[in-house]
Amino acid sequence: MARVKLTNVKKIYDKNVVAVHDFNLDIADKEFVVFVGPSGCGKSTTLRMIAGLEEISDGTVEIDGVVVNDLQPKDRNIAMVFQNYALYPHLSVFENMAFPLRLQKMPQEEIYKRVTEAAEVLGITEYLNRKPRALSGGQRQRVAIGRAMVRDSKVFLMDEPLSNLDAKLRNQMRAEIILLRKKIDTTFVYVTHDQTEAMTLGDRIVIMKDGYIQQVGTPDEVFDMPANLFVAEFIGAPKMNTFSTRLVKENGEYYVEPFGSKIKVTGLKGKELAEKKIETRDIILGVRPEHIVLADKKGEDSIACTIQVNEMMGSELHLHVLTEDGTPIIVRVPTVNLTHEQREQMVNGHKIFITFEGKVMHFFDPETTENLL
Amino acid sequence: MSEKKHMGMKAKTRLSNTVIYVILTIMSIVWLFPFFCIVCESFRVESTYQVGYVIPKQWGLDNYINLFTKTDFPIWFRNTFIIALFVAVFQTIIVLCMSYTLSRLRFKMRKGLMNVMLILGMFPGFLSMIVLYKVLNGMGLTGPNSIPGLILVYVGGSGMGYYVSKGYFDTIPRSLDEAARVDGATRLQVLTKVMLPLCKPIVIYTILTAFMGPWGDFMFAKYIAHASSVGMTVAVGLQSMIGTPSSLAANYTMFCAGGVVVAVPITILFMSLQKYYVEGVTGGAVKG
Repeated sequence: MARVKLTNVKKIYDKNVVAVHDFNLDIADKEFVVFVGPSGCGKSTTLRMIAGLEEISDGTVEIDGVVVNDLQPKDRNIAMVFQNYALYPHLSVFENMAFPLRLQKMPQEEIYKRVTEAAEVLGITEYLNRKPRALSGGQRQRVAIGRAMVRDSKVFLMDEPLSNLDAKLRNQMRAEIILLRKKIDTTFVYVTHDQTEAMTLGDRIVIMKDGYIQQVGTPDEVFDMPANLFVAEFIGAPKMNTFSTRLVKENGEYYVEPFGSKIKVTGLKGKELAEKKIETRDIILGVRPEHIVLADKKGEDSIACTIQVNEMMGSELHLHVLTEDGTPIIVRVPTVNLTHEQREQMVNGHKIFITFEGKVMHFFDPETTENLL
Repeated sequence: MSEKKHMGMKAKTRLSNTVIYVILTIMSIVWLFPFFCIVCESFRVESTYQVGYVIPKQWGLDNYINLFTKTDFPIWFRNTFIIALFVAVFQTIIVLCMSYTLSRLRFKMRKGLMNVMLILGMFPGFLSMIVLYKVLNGMGLTGPNSIPGLILVYVGGSGMGYYVSKGYFDTIPRSLDEAARVDGATRLQVLTKVMLPLCKPIVIYTILTAFMGPWGDFMFAKYIAHASSVGMTVAVGLQSMIGTPSSLAANYTMFCAGGVVVAVPITILFMSLQKYYVEGVTGGAVKG
C-alpha cells in the first residue's frame, strides 16, 4: 500500500567497490516489480537497501513519500521473505508467524486471528505447533511468507524466495505467489535470478547487470523490445541466438545476410528501420530460437546446418545445430507441426535448412550493443 | 574369509578399547586421589595435623562444626557467594553484549579492538595489581570493604573474554537477525528474543565460568582484602588459617573441611548444568 521511489541510489563498499550505480526507479502503489539479473548484479543489494539492511551510500529511498534512508528496518513498515527462510528455529510455526505481531504488542486474540487466517490461506494450519526443522522446504517457505503476510506492511520484499526449492515445488509456489499477490494487494519488490519467475510474476521487470539497470519494462516490452544485447540474451529460454552480420538496404527494403544467405526483414521491424533511416551497416543480429523455422531446401534465404544435439521437450524439440562455419544455433521446433517423416530426420548428424521469420528479428549495434530500434 | 576378517576387526576394537579404558582409569585415579584425601582429612578427628595415612582412624564432624563456629568461615563464604553472584550477573551481561556486538555489528576499528583485546589478554592479570590496589584503596574499597572492590576487579575486564561466545554467535545465520529486525525488533530484542534462546549452551557456559572465577581466585582477593578477616573470600580466609607452622598444625583438617564445603555449591551447579556446559564448550565448532 505504498509507493516506493529510489532516486540516484548508490551502494559503495569500503574498498570503493561499487555494487549499485545510480539506481532510479519509481514503484507505483500495489505494483509488483521484479529485479532480475545474474549473481553479483546488485539486485539483492538494492532490495536490502530498501529494507534498511544495507546502508545507502548515496541517493534517497522513499516509501510513501517519506525518505527512509536513516530509518531502522523496524521503522520502515516492510515485510521481507528471505531465500533461506530465516525462520526462528526455537519457536513453533505459530510463534514464528506471531513474532512481528508480539513485537507490536498486539492483543492476543488479534494475533491468534491473524496467524490462523494466514495459515489457512497458506495451507499450513496443521503445522502450527511444529518447529521449523520438522517442516519441508516448501512448508518452511510458506511459514516465512505467512510471517510477512500477517503484518499489513506497506511493502512486501522477497529475496529469491523460491531459489532453495526444487523445480516442481518452485513452479507450484510461483503460482501461489501470483494468487497471494491478489489477496494481499500491496506493493511487491521481488528479487530473482530466474527470468521465468521475473516474466511470470512481474508487472514490471528491472533487468540489472554489474550494478546498472539495463532495462525497465513490462514482461512484453523486455521480451519483444530488449534494450540491448544483454537483456535480449538474458530474457527468454533457450536464450536468443546472436550473430555478427550485415544489415543491407536495397531499394528501400532491408535484408540481413547471415552465413551467406539473404533474408528479408518484413513487417513492423522493416518499417521501423526505415523510419529511423538506418543505412547499410554491420550489426549483431538476434533471433529467438522460436522464431527460426525449418526450410524445405537450400535457397537464398536459408542456412544449412547440422544437428548436434536434439532435446525432446515434449511439445517441442530443441535442436542445437551448427552452421557450416561452426556457429552454434538453437532452434525450437513445435512437434505438432512435424510430419512423421520430418520427425524421423531430426536426429544428430542430420543436415537441415533453417530460415528466420523476417518480422521478429532484433538488431544491435556491435559496439554499444544497444538495440538499433 | 570375510568372517575371519570381521572377527579380527572386532578383536582389534576390543583391544584398543581395553587399552583406552586402562589409561583413562589410571588418569582418573591420579586426578581423584587428592580429592579423596581431602575428604578423608576433613572427617579425621584423631589429629588436627597431617598424618602418614589416608583413611581416618576416627571419623567425625568436629572439623566442620569448628569451621562454622570458631572461625570467620561463614563470613568468607557469604562474601565469596555475594561476589560470585554479582560477577555471574554482570560478567554474563557484558560478555554476551560484547560478543553480539563483535559478531554482528560492523564498525571502524572492530578488528583493531579485537586484536588489542587478544594481546592484552595475553598479559597476566596480576601485572595490573598494584595500580588496581592504589585505585581501589583511594576509593576505600580495600580491606573490610573489599567485596565491591573485588566485584569491580572481576567484572572490569570481563568483556575481553568474548572469544568463545562470539564464535558461537558467528554460527547463527545473520539472516535470522535481519528477519527479526525487519519484523520490528530492536538490536536488543534481536539479542534477547532470537540470539540468546538459540545460544542457551553458551549463555550457561558464560554464567558458570563467571560464577566459578571468584571461588578460585587467591591473588587479587588476598591483595585487596589483606589482613581484614571480614573482607576475605574463602580462598584467602582458608589460607590465613594455615598461614604459619603452628596454625597449620592446629587447623589442617579444618582447612580440608573448608575445601570440601567450598566445592559443594560449584559441584551442585555443575552437576545440574553439566549437559549444557559440555554442549557450550564444544557447540561453537559445529552448530547443534
